[in-house]
Amino acid sequence: MKDRTVLHIEDNEYNRKIVRQLLSRTSFKLIEAADGEEGVAVAQRELPDLILMDVQLPKLSGLDATRQLRADPRTAKIPLVVVTSFALSGDDRRAMDAGASAYLAKPYSPRDLMALIHKFLPDN
Amino acid sequence: MQRTTAAERTPPTVVALLASPLGILVRAVARIRASVHVKLLAAFLVITLLFIAMTAVSLLAVTETARQTTLLDEAHERVGWSRQIEHALAMQMHFTSMALLSQSADSVSLILRENNRFNDTLERLQTAAPAEERALIQAIRGAQDDAMATVADIANALRDRRLAEAMTALRTEQEPIYQKIEALVSSLVAAEEQRMARLRASIAASQSRSLRLTAGFAVASVALALLAGFVISWSFILPVREARGFLSEVAEGRFGGKIVVPNRDEFGALAEHMNRMSEELHRLDDEQRVAAERLHSLNDRLALASRAKSEFLANMSHELRTPLNAILGFTEIMHDGLYGEVPPELREPLVDIQTNGRHLLRLINDVLDLSKIEAGRLELGVTEYSVQEIVDVVHTSLKSLAIEKGLTFTATVPPDIPTAWGDGRRLTQCLLNLAGNALKFTRRGRVDLDVRLEGEWLTYRVTDTGIGIPKDEIDKIFAEFRQVDTTITREYGGTGLGLSITKRLVEMHGGRIGVDSELGKGSTFFFTVPLHTDGERA
Repeated sequence: MKDRTVLHIEDNEYNRKIVRQLLSRTSFKLIEAADGEEGVAVAQRELPDLILMDVQLPKLSGLDATRQLRADPRTAKIPLVVVTSFALSGDDRRAMDAGASAYLAKPYSPRDLMALIHKFLPDN
Repeated sequence: MQRTTAAERTPPTVVALLASPLGILVRAVARIRASVHVKLLAAFLVITLLFIAMTAVSLLAVTETARQTTLLDEAHERVGWSRQIEHALAMQMHFTSMALLSQSADSVSLILRENNRFNDTLERLQTAAPAEERALIQAIRGAQDDAMATVADIANALRDRRLAEAMTALRTEQEPIYQKIEALVSSLVAAEEQRMARLRASIAASQSRSLRLTAGFAVASVALALLAGFVISWSFILPVREARGFLSEVAEGRFGGKIVVPNRDEFGALAEHMNRMSEELHRLDDEQRVAAERLHSLNDRLALASRAKSEFLANMSHELRTPLNAILGFTEIMHDGLYGEVPPELREPLVDIQTNGRHLLRLINDVLDLSKIEAGRLELGVTEYSVQEIVDVVHTSLKSLAIEKGLTFTATVPPDIPTAWGDGRRLTQCLLNLAGNALKFTRRGRVDLDVRLEGEWLTYRVTDTGIGIPKDEIDKIFAEFRQVDTTITREYGGTGLGLSITKRLVEMHGGRIGVDSELGKGSTFFFTVPLHTDGERA
């Protein structure tokens, strides 16, 4: 079976590194993007199995990028987790309104993130 | 501009009046520098004087008529006397004839009596007669003397029995004299009658003249009274109308209009006062407008600043969380052995990093929450929520801390509490704050959570056996950055924002927060919210 791909869109190198470390021990293939525009382009090109989208991104915000991906029929069905700034800020509601499959408040526990990834991409 | 609007309200008849010469007169009267009192008095005085003059003229006319009537009476009397003279003359002739017929001189004495009457009457006539008749009367008197001489001749002739001579004297001398006297008396009567006719005509003329004069005066008085009344009253009404128009403009909030009246009386003074008032109102209105504009622009700037602040806070929130995410994330994956087995001596410092990182996160959350509440940007997400679930979440997340401190920690929710409406997550935050504080400030004993439903109100309560709060501090503990004692901050930690945020969130739900406490014994914090919060009240 083909390795499943996770697209991580995040502008902070250290946070990308954490996910990179987390997924290095798994069979998931990780691709990364550092801003909203690049994220949308990579998603449309690579059609990943799961997208992790930070809410605040350069060039194109995470919410706008989510809306664009949801508007594109090729990417409309891909599970998409928005990493919100703060659960109580209202970002979570806006993320769900934009079309996110789930949201995760920052700072998140890596264990919680892995649990969420496994939820959307269960082992066979 | 305001003047035009004031004129528009004036009825067309008044406009026509003001354009007419009468209007000029009205304005002229208004311009007279005298008080209203004096003007009214003067008008009444003029009218009264006119009536007095009219009365005087009437009186004069009546007097003149009376004088002429007297003259007429006198003339009438003189005519009567003339008739008496004529009568006496006839009697004289009669007695003379009688003397001749009886051929005796006895009748002559009767003639003398008639003569005396004649002379008396003539005397009276002469006294009363106007100058031009004197000559005529004198002629009559002369003729009468001649007649009496003839009578004496006749009487002598009769006495001497000279009858023929007496007859001749009568026929040739006395008769022509009597005829002459008769003619003279007749002309006198005619003259008097003519005079009477003239007097009658004159009386009639003077009566009609006095009637005309009186009527003229009456008409003039009435006309003048009307004119004076009209002019005076309009000289007062015009400024009053102007004032009414002006005041209704002021009432409609249009200030700065000017009232222009020609009056130099009390109305003029009033208009001047109103103009000053108008100027003052206009000035105040302008000032107020400028102030309002300034306030408006200030408000705009403040709104802009507030928005900028909120945006800054939102950005800052994310910016702070991003490195914190990395710190906590790396610590956790290191702790979980992702980088290989962690040496035992490094486990504790790793946990310390994690604990302090989480504390920093809580502080950031509190500060941002309060900033949002202050900016009015915090919205409640009102949905259905389970009271049981809230209490469970709080109990579960704090249970380990209670166990760590060796405290009894219970949570009690009556089973019959229905589903409630409100922002469940915010209420969880509130209860977490209260319960967290209770655990923090209690060294021994217990902390108990419970919920009660009374009517439509839910009360969440946290009771502890902690250090308690001094009475004089109870009112202050809900204020921002407030802990009872700064040493407490050092010993127990915390930002001092938790209670303040909790209070605001409870109030946004339409509820209230309170505390009962006894120093050294413990505290009971509680908040009461409606079972159904209808929405946000921030």
